[in-house]
This record gives sequence, structure tokens and C-alpha cells, in this order.
Amino acid sequence: MSSPLVLLPGDEVPSEYLPASSSAPLRLGAGLRLLSQPHPTTTSSSSTQAPSHVLTATQAGILSTDTKRNALSILSFPHRRYIPTANDLVIAQIHHSSPDYFHCMITPQAPHAVLGQLSFEGATKKTRPMLKQGDLVYARVLSIGLGAGAEVELACVNPATGRAEPGGLGPLNGGMVFDISTGMASRLMRASSSTGEQQDGVAGLVVLDELGKKLEKAGGFEIAIGRNGKVWVDCSNSGDVAVKATVAIGRCLTTIDEHDLNPADQKKLVSRVLRELKIEV
Amino acid sequence: MNKEAPLSIAERDFILNALREDVRLDGRAADQLRPLKVSFGEEYGHVKVQLGRTSLVIRVSAEVTKPHEDRPFDGLFTIAMELTAMGSPAWDNGRQGDLETYVTNVLDRVIRHSNALDTESLCIVKGVSCWSIRADVHVTDYDGNLIDGACIGIMAGLQHFRRPDAVVKDGQVIVYGLDQRVPVALNITHKPLAVTFHTFDEGKRVILDATRKEEQAAEADVVFGLNNAGDVCFMSKFSGSPVDAMVFVNKTSVALDKVKEINAIIDKALQADLAMRAKKGMAEESRAENDR
Repeated sequence: MSSPLVLLPGDEVPSEYLPASSSAPLRLGAGLRLLSQPHPTTTSSSSTQAPSHVLTATQAGILSTDTKRNALSILSFPHRRYIPTANDLVIAQIHHSSPDYFHCMITPQAPHAVLGQLSFEGATKKTRPMLKQGDLVYARVLSIGLGAGAEVELACVNPATGRAEPGGLGPLNGGMVFDISTGMASRLMRASSSTGEQQDGVAGLVVLDELGKKLEKAGGFEIAIGRNGKVWVDCSNSGDVAVKATVAIGRCLTTIDEHDLNPADQKKLVSRVLRELKIEV
Repeated sequence: MNKEAPLSIAERDFILNALREDVRLDGRAADQLRPLKVSFGEEYGHVKVQLGRTSLVIRVSAEVTKPHEDRPFDGLFTIAMELTAMGSPAWDNGRQGDLETYVTNVLDRVIRHSNALDTESLCIVKGVSCWSIRADVHVTDYDGNLIDGACIGIMAGLQHFRRPDAVVKDGQVIVYGLDQRVPVALNITHKPLAVTFHTFDEGKRVILDATRKEEQAAEADVVFGLNNAGDVCFMSKFSGSPVDAMVFVNKTSVALDKVKEINAIIDKALQADLAMRAKKGMAEESRAENDR
């Protein structure tokens, strides 16, 4: 199980790679699709443990399993095309608004996604955010619709609880957006969600930790990673080095993305970029 | 239907604020080019230009045609540029956008109208036949500053290109193949290049070689076309907000430095390519299985 499994589009996921625990539902991430489910009638007749699900890959990449969350996803090669998948966190840009919805761009040349005017934390008709064209929101993909012409729906709130879950969903004010590949975006998400000791092995990204340590004294930074290949960075707490710190973070991320640096080189790059921009650490 | 992705308000404000502190997103100085790489393909006149993340392929080709009626002594020279979906998802195949019209127009005026290529030397028989030189510009990736990139590519292509030798014998035009006679280099009169600046913050900040995001956030652009000797053959400020006259005066000298720098890079690449070809040519000729 420890050696990475490379799948090509159409390949079935071997059942031994599926997380063992069956109590929680299995979550499918980007690049995977459920091909068939066991019928209730057939499962009762078969006494042995038949493969319960047939999963196939829709993208080429390395299969990654998260036993804690009971989730499966494909780590694809670095490309810039984003295909919306339910439950992804994305950074969307408001294009225009209509009485009920904000129409947002997730990727510039794709059809617009809709975001309900009231799907923000604590939003009512009176308190809803007044977003205008060009504003950014950090949102979750609620549904991707079925069939041709289906609209992708976004939400900045968990409809079940009425809270912005995970925290930070909602309008993004100030800061700067940098473009990275979708693969890099998902690696960054994994690196930031996993615990410290397994981080190096999971995604090979230490850049955020390193930047966090170095910029702590200057005031730290806020970051939002969109699976659609966008990273929003804000350092407005850093006072007079705010702009430089933001540029430094952006440069580190895009360079690592382009050159696929290993952890040691990432640390070197962070020190070099901070030195070039003359940020005291 | 396809359009260039508009910048978000955050990006626009940030780029401007950063420039006020003299910081650019990629850490360059205001008057600094992105890393430029010029390389040549197998055939004469096949150039690849990589300017940061903007990349272009330029092909120069030649054919024999009839000259225009009113200019019997002149050959033809055309620059063909088409922005296809290959370069950016914002461009449509077969539909001409504003950017394409603008870039084609500037390229025409910088290179063609400044007579960089001596068209009279392309004449074979007066009023009957002449060479038609065509430079095709293909954009394979787009991250701003198409004009400078295309100019670099076309000039490098013209200098690299060798046309087949043609001879007039008893009123008959004989064109020799590239392997029959040594092909002829084109007659380049001077080497003009375009240098584009973008202005921000009511003309107070001026930067060279903008990326796509910087271009979109800019107020206006100023294009200079000049050659190594400092002759300005083109200068434009088509649209956007007003630019102070002193910007033109000051930036012309910066542009001259850049033109010299870029021309040096092109020359170096040309020399390296010629040296490599000479070496390979010798090896080809000395091979035993050649026809004799």
C-alpha cells in the first residue's frame, strides 16, 4: 500500500487500495468516478466479500488515499485546466449579479458558475454582501449539475449548519491572486491540511511552513488556496513590508510550481527570494 | 464569445500599489526584460522566441511571384500573424480580435515600412518575377508583450533565412535547390526592434516588457521602434490615458539600450547556429555514402 499507484484514465481502482473502514461513506475526490454499485439483491446472495464498488480514474495520476477522512483522490500531473468537482474549494471572481445569484468565473473561458445571494454565513436579505464585478470569493463547489448546459453551483456556507465551513469562506478583500497549476493547488491543500510529521511525505511541500516561520515576525500572512489553480495571499498585517511579503510568497509558489523543487531547494528558494526583496527575517 | 479574462479588483489594486513601491510581481526592475531565449530550428528562417512565459514560433519562407504592377523593381514582403486558440484560450480561431489588428499593424510599421528588408534586392526580372518573402508568426503561449516578442522573432528570422539562388538565363528564371547552390542571405538594411512600455499611476510609473496581468492593469502603452544606431522609425501611443512628453524623451534612451541588448542576444544566437551548421555541414559532406 505504501508504493504509489499510477492510474490511467479508465483504469479501475484495485479494491485493496480502498480504505478499509466501512463505517463512514467513501469520499471521492477529483479524477475519480463511481462506475457501478453493488445491487442490494446481489449482495445478499453472495456470501463472500465481493468488491463493493467499482471506481475508475478519469484522469492520469497517482492514487492517494486519506484513511482518516475515508477519502480517495487522484494527484494529477501539473496542468492548468480545472474541472469542477463537488466539495472543492475554489477562488471565484464575480462577473455580474442578478436578483437571486452572483454569476462567477471559476476559470475565465468556462461558463459562469452561480452563487446564491444568500449563501453566505449569516446572510439575510438585508445583510447579504454587496459584491460587485471583479470581487473575489472563496467558495465551495456545491453541485456540478448533470448533463449538457448544467450550471455549477457554489456556496460560501454549509447549507446544513448555516456556518461558513471550513472557516474563511466568503468574500476575499484586498490581497493578491497568483496563478498556479491545479496539481500544485491540490498539493498545497493536502500539505496544509495534514499534520506536521507526515507533511514531507504527503506532498513534498514545506514552502508554506518555511514562509510562515520567516514571516511570523513581520506579521504573518493569510492564504486561501483555490483548487482552480489560484492562490490568494494577503499580508495586510505586515505593515510596510506587506506588498513585498505578498510578492515574495507569490514568487516562491509560482517558482516551485514551475521547477518542481524538492523540500531542500524550497527552503533555499524562500531565503533567496526574501533576501532579494530585502525583507528582514 | 471568448474574451481575455478580466482582472479582479484585488489584482489591479495590488499591481498598482506594488509599483508605487517599485516592486514588480516577478521581482524585476522597472526597466528589465524577462529572460529572453532565441533559438533556431533545422531549416533556415525557423525561429523560436521565449520571452518569459510568452513563446512564439516564426517561420520565414520565400517563393517566386509576379511583382506589383506599380512597383516592377520591388519584391514582396508580408508579415502574417494570426492569434489562434493555441496561444491562449481567450482567442478564437479564424476571428480577428483587436489585439491581432493592433499587433499586426505595429509589426508592419516597425519592420516593413522602415525598410528593414531591402525589397529591391528581391527583384529577379523587372515586372515579371520577384521573390515574395513571408514571415509567419505563431503564438504558442501568451503572457504579455506580443509586439516585442514578434519583432525579435521576425528580425532574427530574416537574418537567419537563406533563399534559394536564382539566375536568369535567356529570359528563363532558374531557381537552384538549397543543395545545388549555396543559398543567399537576405539583404537587411538595418535591424529595428520594438520596445513597449506601459504606464501606471497617471503616468508616474513606467515599466518595460509587461506581463499579461500588468498589461491589463496598465493605463496606457507606448511603443518605440528603433535600431542599433538610435534611429527612431516608429513611435506610438494609440490608446489609454495621456502620457507626459518627457516619458517619450527619457524612455527613448532606455529603449536604445534595450535594442542593443536584444540585438546582441540575437547576434550571439545566430553566430552559434551558423557555427553549428558549418560543423554539421562538413560532417555531412565528408560522409562516405554521399552521392557524388
